[in-house]
Amino acid sequence: MARPLRLMEIFVELADSLIDDFDVIDFLQRLSTRCVELLDISAAGILLVDQHGELQAVAASDEHTRLLELFALQHSEGPCVDCYHSGEARVNIDLTDLDTTEPWARFAVRARQAGFRTTHAVPLRLRDRVVGALNLFHTADVPLSDEDVALAQAMADIATIAILQQRTLDRSSLENSQLQNALNTRIVIEQAKGILAERWNAGVDSAFSSLRAYARAHQLRITDLAYAVIDGRLDTTLIPAPSAVDTSPAARRRRLPR
Amino acid sequence: MISDTLAAVLTRLYLGAHEGLAAACTKALQVDGLALSLVVDGWEPEPLWHFGTASALLEELQFTLGEGPAPDCVRAGVAVTVPDFPATPSVRWPALSTAAAELHLPVRALFCFPLRLGAVRVGVLTMTTDTPGPLTATQTSDALALTAALTAWYLGGHEADLLGAPGTGPAELNRAETHQATGMVSVQLGVPLAEALLRLRARAYSQNRPLHEVAGEVTARRLRFFPDPDAPSAPDNREG
Repeated sequence: MARPLRLMEIFVELADSLIDDFDVIDFLQRLSTRCVELLDISAAGILLVDQHGELQAVAASDEHTRLLELFALQHSEGPCVDCYHSGEARVNIDLTDLDTTEPWARFAVRARQAGFRTTHAVPLRLRDRVVGALNLFHTADVPLSDEDVALAQAMADIATIAILQQRTLDRSSLENSQLQNALNTRIVIEQAKGILAERWNAGVDSAFSSLRAYARAHQLRITDLAYAVIDGRLDTTLIPAPSAVDTSPAARRRRLPR
Repeated sequence: MISDTLAAVLTRLYLGAHEGLAAACTKALQVDGLALSLVVDGWEPEPLWHFGTASALLEELQFTLGEGPAPDCVRAGVAVTVPDFPATPSVRWPALSTAAAELHLPVRALFCFPLRLGAVRVGVLTMTTDTPGPLTATQTSDALALTAALTAWYLGGHEADLLGAPGTGPAELNRAETHQATGMVSVQLGVPLAEALLRLRARAYSQNRPLHEVAGEVTARRLRFFPDPDAPSAPDNREG
């Protein structure tokens, strides 16, 4: 489909979700997958600054550990940290260029091992502050055009709006506290992933896939479902467990990138 | 950015020097009263410490009556702000509004911040002021930094060493693998998440390794925790 039409569809879809009582993790995940589609890239993730000034991933286009590790590495160094501190987008970073990647060589090595060639970081802006970054990866050396960068910035702005619009008890809720809530919601998902992975003797990646598939099939919010798993309110045998999963590092490498 | 006074308070907290902590926090946050309540064994929160009589009374009232911004904050896990308490419609917390009016409490505004780590509810920190109006940006940042530090402290079983040791401080509590491992260990031991996290932190501390490294061993299934056979609770949940 031609991009303008698809673009319009996606913006309508995202705007529609924002007026509903939405789940922030579901929303940001969907936004990440739409970034991959619209910008024709390989992976996308959203990072938010925590109360210690470090960046933490809240959502990604896919939940493979190899990708999440790349976000985790950037809690203190990497293109997203640069973008967070400068407030400027950092685009078309060649991960194979040793001069460019020298300040965060460890991140660059891991990104290349995961199969990525190019990365981009776009700020999540809140008036005069930066509260996080949208991080994009491509397995090929395909630069983003100026138009692509503007689109990425628009997606990043929508992510910020969504985080500030989360349902809370109280409309006057504080912006910083909304960021904190998004990060905490992410933690709930990770805790539930661990519980399911252990019960099923499966990898955390496939545990998450099964949880998400169940949430979608039953039209439940992923966060509510994660809470139900943790509180023991949900009989987890009802969720189809992932079929015999190979969690060895070799298998993980084979599965990523797609 | 947090204020210098709060940074000094956090340093004291990490050193385990808790004498006069409530007063120091109240001063750093530039409010009139402060109350901390903790969830004990998964039950309703109980007031632990406070600064200011009115603040303490209001905290007791809320948890006795079971309603108010602090219980709401714990239940929902998000901050609840009440910048003009007497002007709040009484339908929101009817019993609390009545009781507070009868006692002529000077409190005009309340700001409740959750102590939580994902699904683990730790408690709530309530700031009160005798004048109405919202918090400043610095007060909010300070309150969030303080609640994060208090969360790490009380989740550490009050062990100063767990916070002071490298790789076990509050920032370490934000890593994904730590939370995944917490979930896994809670199933391995048949214990709540908070206790599973404590076991992970104790292991990291005793081996002098960063918490996320020990957590990574668990998620990679190179490390398992086994229920203590002498423990009073029956280990019935080994395989989930």
